[in-house]
Amino acid sequence: MFGLIGHSTSFADARANARNLGYDDYAEGDLDMWCAAPPQLLERVSVTSPTGTTITGAYIDSVFVPEMLRRFKTAKRKVLKAMELAQKTGIDITALGGFTSIIFEDLNLLKEERVSAVQLDWQRFTTGNTHTAWVICQQVVQNAPHLGIDLANARVAVVGASGDIGSAVCRWLQRQGVGELLLVARRPQPLIDLQASLGGGRILPLDEALGEAQVVVWVASLPESLQIDLAALPRPCLMIDGGYPKNLNSKAAAADVHVLKGGIVEFWQDIGWQMMEVAEMAKPQRQMFACFAEAMLLDFEQRHTNFSWGRNNISLEAMDWIGDASRRHGFRALALEDQPSSTAALAPA
Amino acid sequence: MATLASPLAASPEESALPDFASEAYKDAYSRINAIVIEGEQEAHDNYVAIGTLLPDQAEELTRLARMELKHMKGFTACAANLGVTADMPFAQDFFAPLRNNFQAALAEGKVVTCLLIQAILIEAFAISAYHIYIPVADPFARRITEGVVKDEYTHLNYGQEWLKANRETIRDEFEQANRDNLPLVRTMLDEVAADAAVLQMDKEDLMADFLSSYQEALLEIGFTGREIARFAAAALVG
Repeated sequence: MFGLIGHSTSFADARANARNLGYDDYAEGDLDMWCAAPPQLLERVSVTSPTGTTITGAYIDSVFVPEMLRRFKTAKRKVLKAMELAQKTGIDITALGGFTSIIFEDLNLLKEERVSAVQLDWQRFTTGNTHTAWVICQQVVQNAPHLGIDLANARVAVVGASGDIGSAVCRWLQRQGVGELLLVARRPQPLIDLQASLGGGRILPLDEALGEAQVVVWVASLPESLQIDLAALPRPCLMIDGGYPKNLNSKAAAADVHVLKGGIVEFWQDIGWQMMEVAEMAKPQRQMFACFAEAMLLDFEQRHTNFSWGRNNISLEAMDWIGDASRRHGFRALALEDQPSSTAALAPA
Repeated sequence: MATLASPLAASPEESALPDFASEAYKDAYSRINAIVIEGEQEAHDNYVAIGTLLPDQAEELTRLARMELKHMKGFTACAANLGVTADMPFAQDFFAPLRNNFQAALAEGKVVTCLLIQAILIEAFAISAYHIYIPVADPFARRITEGVVKDEYTHLNYGQEWLKANRETIRDEFEQANRDNLPLVRTMLDEVAADAAVLQMDKEDLMADFLSSYQEALLEIGFTGREIARFAAAALVG
């Protein structure tokens, strides 16, 4: 059995979702009430791969909303309690979605030995980052040529390059062969280390990288205050919005700048679930975060282990393995043509 | 997931243990400890009383009741260890609303209500509070509390199993009893929040942990997530 731990994108959305799902009393509650509310197992689904294998899974809402990010203890408890519920439900492998994995990593919850009486078994959880990184790489190589970008000669910037997903994307793209990798991140030292391990790539500040890159992979959360100098971007420009939350579209709306939601996959057939409507997917019956799909893939493959875990452990071998499994079990990366509104509106007149 | 501007600006500092010898700590402890002692005494009395409603279970209930007296002695020793005198009159007042509801239900032979109050609400709260207390307890009390918490699961489990076995017939009474008593848990928590904070037990943690244990018990009994959310809202909303 696979599990997905998710949450609503805002408190307002969470209340609306609660009402839609029949949790009227929660919909009425204030933020303090939501802070104390336990996680909810909202839905059980079964999913069948083109291979004929069927697996069952459960969606757990951590009852976390981004408005709780400033309350460290609450955020921490939300994540650990949701994991505890997944484990008690007997789920073999659960993916941490949205802010859940960010909180897990940033607050270093691996230090937490136990939540109430339950000893968490880390083997049962995955961040899903390996599949996310692989999907983002697919999105780069599949969509750039459609825009007339020749990857072999293109500059590709990775914003958040030294992070878990970012460093994996850099390694994969370097093996693939791109014109030049531009490495962007907040802290200098991890970037220098990354450059050394890659044996290549050029470290640049964000604004300079954006002035040069025909492909920009964003795997960092964007600060609200971030302004992109649209006039300075080379055209055409492919931007893969692989961070969380996905808010690049509003910041990079311009002619011939193509923003693709990164780390999203589409399944080969409809899944009878409600949950991806909560995540505001364009086709909620088929589309989902790649990190969630990783839990499904690990369950299809009966590989019940914390496949993606810790920082910067994602190997090319692991990406290749999860990529093969992804294709075999009917997933494909979201493409520009799947987003009619963004490409049509932003294409040159 | 890597972040360019981490939404979590900084990780919280690990807080040190409280100063167990300070007057402020001992003052707060005199009330919290009294609540625990009184709670264990009342739990003993309540299980014996439930045995009068369920004669075929009386032996098992007496066994459970005896465990509570053992816990009470342990917690009394915790107060002595810190040189604190438990404020028992405070604790007796503290439990009065819940005790009155239990006694009224007992007089009417309402076993479902009695089990909900003692074996679900009180036990779920005790388990959560003990878990939150253990990491911030003095070494002596920590050892005692770790022993106690294991037993309390047996008690929660007893109530859970009986209610589960009688699930078809209990629903209306259970729902009413829940509506009458769950809000009291929140009121009681509010009343001791300041003292609990001195012991480094956070009110929101206590409530959240209680609701998790409570939800888990109700799921086990056979209620659905939506039903439980409706029940829980009685404690959370308003």
